[in-house]
Amino acid sequence: MKNSYDLKKITSKYRPIVTFKVKKSIGSHTPEWEDIVNEIMLNTIEKIKSGEFKGESSVGTFIYTITRRRIVDYIRRKKRRAHKYIPESDPFPDPHEQIENKERAEMLAKKLEELKPKYKTILYLYYYKDLSRREVAQRLGISPRKVSERVHYAQKLLRNLIKK
Amino acid sequence: MKKCRHEDLIDDYLFNRLSTEKKEEFEEHFFNCPRCFEQIKEKNELISVIKDKGDSIFKDMRIEEESKNRTRNKIFGFLSPKPLISAALTAALVLIIIFGIIPNITNETPEFMMSDDAIRGSSITLISEAIPSEFRWEDLGNNIEYKVFIYNDELLWEKSTQNNTISLPEEIKTKMIPGKSYSWQVKAFSPEGTLISSSSKVQFTWRKNN
Repeated sequence: MKNSYDLKKITSKYRPIVTFKVKKSIGSHTPEWEDIVNEIMLNTIEKIKSGEFKGESSVGTFIYTITRRRIVDYIRRKKRRAHKYIPESDPFPDPHEQIENKERAEMLAKKLEELKPKYKTILYLYYYKDLSRREVAQRLGISPRKVSERVHYAQKLLRNLIKK
Repeated sequence: MKKCRHEDLIDDYLFNRLSTEKKEEFEEHFFNCPRCFEQIKEKNELISVIKDKGDSIFKDMRIEEESKNRTRNKIFGFLSPKPLISAALTAALVLIIIFGIIPNITNETPEFMMSDDAIRGSSITLISEAIPSEFRWEDLGNNIEYKVFIYNDELLWEKSTQNNTISLPEEIKTKMIPGKSYSWQVKAFSPEGTLISSSSKVQFTWRKNN
């Protein structure tokens, strides 16, 4: 049975997602990430072409399963090779490697600095100091829901400032 | 634009605060939800910039925080700045002595003082021969509630206590793998539930005896 998946479309749609997941799991400082992403994408296409993927789940779920297995496999092998050295996933999104667009990052930093104190404070406590929603709420004397709303609004402001 | 019900998980996901099960469920979701993935990318970029350049972005914030701390310390008299600084120094010294100079002592319990001066995000690697049977920190006064967190890549365990020590339950100990890094952190809350102090995350690893 021939299936009619548009492989090009699938590749361009899922490659960024797979890349994100792989980098987050093994750390973007690990040079192998690109090979692993390539393997996952190739494997996906092969399985679709050969008909092994029969559409019993969504394409997204199918690719996620392949990705997760490949990462588990990578970590297991790495452990076997060097007993003590286990790659750790990034504690935070890696500040240096994940910013692909340096200029954009610079601009974002500038806009952040110019935000009104109300929004700046919330981003400072929530993202810079890693406080939980509840802790931020307690510090500022507002409800946790309000914290989310403010973070959300601050992001919206930034988004618009950058678009301009 | 309609909100996706999974959106609220994005921050917890990016900060590795989800359980494995929840994490996988959410990952499967964003492989299928372009809207969530877009948001993840955006937030990830924002957090990266904040973590990377936060020192300069928030330089005025920190000054404000300090002055606030001073007022807070007046209210919580037992938290006056001087003892805190000396506590932090003592803590550093204790850590250096216990884990730097005599690292091979068995069954040593890491003592860890916490204070408001502890720098967030810094880490000290403690190497222990066994899983520490007990975690201990400096007592901050009466009626303080402490919350203890153990992390691997994400939150592994958390528990509240009024004491200044805690032991790990067996079921958590069996989950911990020798050689892998874990970290722990203590947060202190006033009786009204206000966060008073938060220690930095301290890393520890344990070696198997054989």
